[in-house]
Amino acid sequence: MSLKYGDRYPGLLRGTGIGARLARHSLTLLAITLLLMPLADLHVLSRDPWAELGRIAQGLLMPHFGSIDAPFKALGLTVSVALWGTLAGVVLGFPLALLFSRSRLVRAGCAFVRAIHELFWALLFLQIFGLSALTALAALAIPYAGIFAKVYAEILESTPSAADDALPQGTGRLSRFLYCELPLAFGQLAAYTRYRFECGLRASVLLGFVGLPTLGFQLESAFREGRYFEAGAVMWLFYALIASLPWWAHRRLLLPLTLGSLLLLGPWPQIDGALLWRFLSTDIWPAPLLSGDLPGLVAWARDIPELLPAIGNTLLLGLLGTAGSLVIAMLLWPLASRHFGNRLTRAAGSGLLVFLRSTPELMLAFVFLLLLGPSLLPAWLALALHNGALIAFLVARHADSLEPGMPDLPASGRLAYELLPRVYPGLLALLYYRAEVILRESAILGMLGVATLGYVIDDYFQTLMFDVAFALLLITACLNVLVDALARRLRPRDVTHDDPCLRQEQLSYPR
Amino acid sequence: MTAEVLVELDQESLGYGDQVIIRDVSLSLHAGERVALLGESGVGKSTLLAALRQRLGQQAAWCPQHHGLVGPLSVYLNIYMGRLDQHSALVNLWNLARPLPRAWQEIAELCGPLGLEGMMKRSVSRLSGGQRQRVAIGRALHQQRDIFLGDEPVASVDPHQALGLLEMIDQRHRGSIIALHQRELALTHFDRVWGLADGRLVLDAPSNRLSLADLDALYPSAVASLPESTTVQAQEKSATPEGSLRCHRGRS
Repeated sequence: MSLKYGDRYPGLLRGTGIGARLARHSLTLLAITLLLMPLADLHVLSRDPWAELGRIAQGLLMPHFGSIDAPFKALGLTVSVALWGTLAGVVLGFPLALLFSRSRLVRAGCAFVRAIHELFWALLFLQIFGLSALTALAALAIPYAGIFAKVYAEILESTPSAADDALPQGTGRLSRFLYCELPLAFGQLAAYTRYRFECGLRASVLLGFVGLPTLGFQLESAFREGRYFEAGAVMWLFYALIASLPWWAHRRLLLPLTLGSLLLLGPWPQIDGALLWRFLSTDIWPAPLLSGDLPGLVAWARDIPELLPAIGNTLLLGLLGTAGSLVIAMLLWPLASRHFGNRLTRAAGSGLLVFLRSTPELMLAFVFLLLLGPSLLPAWLALALHNGALIAFLVARHADSLEPGMPDLPASGRLAYELLPRVYPGLLALLYYRAEVILRESAILGMLGVATLGYVIDDYFQTLMFDVAFALLLITACLNVLVDALARRLRPRDVTHDDPCLRQEQLSYPR
Repeated sequence: MTAEVLVELDQESLGYGDQVIIRDVSLSLHAGERVALLGESGVGKSTLLAALRQRLGQQAAWCPQHHGLVGPLSVYLNIYMGRLDQHSALVNLWNLARPLPRAWQEIAELCGPLGLEGMMKRSVSRLSGGQRQRVAIGRALHQQRDIFLGDEPVASVDPHQALGLLEMIDQRHRGSIIALHQRELALTHFDRVWGLADGRLVLDAPSNRLSLADLDALYPSAVASLPESTTVQAQEKSATPEGSLRCHRGRS
């Protein structure tokens, strides 16, 4: 008896179903990564990483809080910068959100400011405003304005139109907005703003790495000078700050907190208008460009030496980080899911995931860098662990909301037949959402000494060659926009946006 | 027979874009007339009402299907929205912060008979289905228009309340067209029945000449075993020329 064409025995990984397609897709991604891996410098450059790791762990387990210099001042500044940076982002981003769907210029501008990492903005503003509160606020507010514009516009667009249709004809645009769209979208807008504030808090800590006196400053100096007991104490302070967020950032406390924290912001810079203008109009542009000398511009561009390797390394690290996140997420999500293990393993799994996703990549990378030396390896580990854990956490929550049809299957069957087919499309979609973030982080990790674009940019800023540094920032932003577009194309389309897992990542994040 | 025609369609096809949902529909609504619009779900009742709303413009008060209320806002604000077009944006903005005293007074008077007293400050998302229904009707009444167009405005209240609400609607409008599913109510409370089936207006007759069996014909999937019913109501239709036997309402 011959089988019909559609029922013929399929070869390995053949088939047109969504499962087979996604499996081929993921394996291709991993294969490309393996193929390109020899190009990456993944050496361990330090002599005795395990002993160093032991000392850091000891510092974390036995923190010495007394040794932190003025912890409350650093904490206060961290919170104030995050709060006011986010607030300024809202103020700038909200009007842009209203224009977002109408103006191509606004969309492009927002994509551009989003594509540059907070720390790069900080490096840029550092040249104008010095080590001041204004630098910190602008570094947060500008990229966040771009992000808010996009996300707010998406939220407002997706509000149900029934109430709007019911209004009497001839109702003005503003009245429609105030009475229908805004109240209907408010819950989601507030939830996203809250999530962004949490991101702002992490970014605010990281601003310490470029010298602003937030928590990260003390963390960096303590780590760099090997005072691990102090570094451990700062880390604990940071985790306590994040974990206690629901209490101190309560809706009722928000107004007094905002006003009170204004007093903690500082120092404020002396702004020299002439200097500012010279920086913006002359310093950051290549001299041949300003004088209209095209051959000179080509020569200028040729003089940037480490450009191509840096771009290559950035892209490579982005790819490695994305593939690594996929592997880590696949390995870790069952640990935190209610479908596997016992209470103890689940608690440990969730704890690990929360720990990894609350620690910013840069912080992880910094520690790994101390352990392993400045190759791509520590950066890769940091990117894969942080993003993998973040995705795993959301996937585990998605899996927890599912009810297996055949509850008596053994664990492996439950994983392979019941859960994975349902959560995998969401996992892959999340991964591609993160790919853009991962690339942005790949570039910024250069500031720690990894040979990506951030290293070169930091270098040029320090040698006051602002024109080259700014051109490199533009290149970084363009790379990011391109990768974002690519990830959008690769993202599995069959996954609906109603997927609770995706909506959380996009809009309201685990509350 | 001599009553003024409020709105009229003549051999028109209705739909969205290229998609025609109702073909060749001819009908007219006369002053003082209460019309029940019947038909299966998805047959095009909402399309017809939307077209009539478009036609009537500022004359029609509108009570949409599924209420179309704004959950986070209060009952007062939702009802106030019926007249959003009559105030400037600035006044509307101020009203969000502090209710306009006159509007508050008027809406309070409306809320009493609607059974919503004491709830004006409560947000609509915390109301029951029946209460929301009454808020939606309140918003349409607050518009103070000539003609009431309602898309299943009494679908989620009990029959007793439904009667009361329809009474209120009658008192405040010169004519009404209301889509509904309660066939008994269509016969007892309305002057005329329009029935949609198969993308056509297949029934247009005074309610006092109709029986429940006639109305059953509008729901073919429920009475697929009665093929002759269509012919019965076709006769009915030919026996009652357009608008000739309008039943008076006897308002006292």
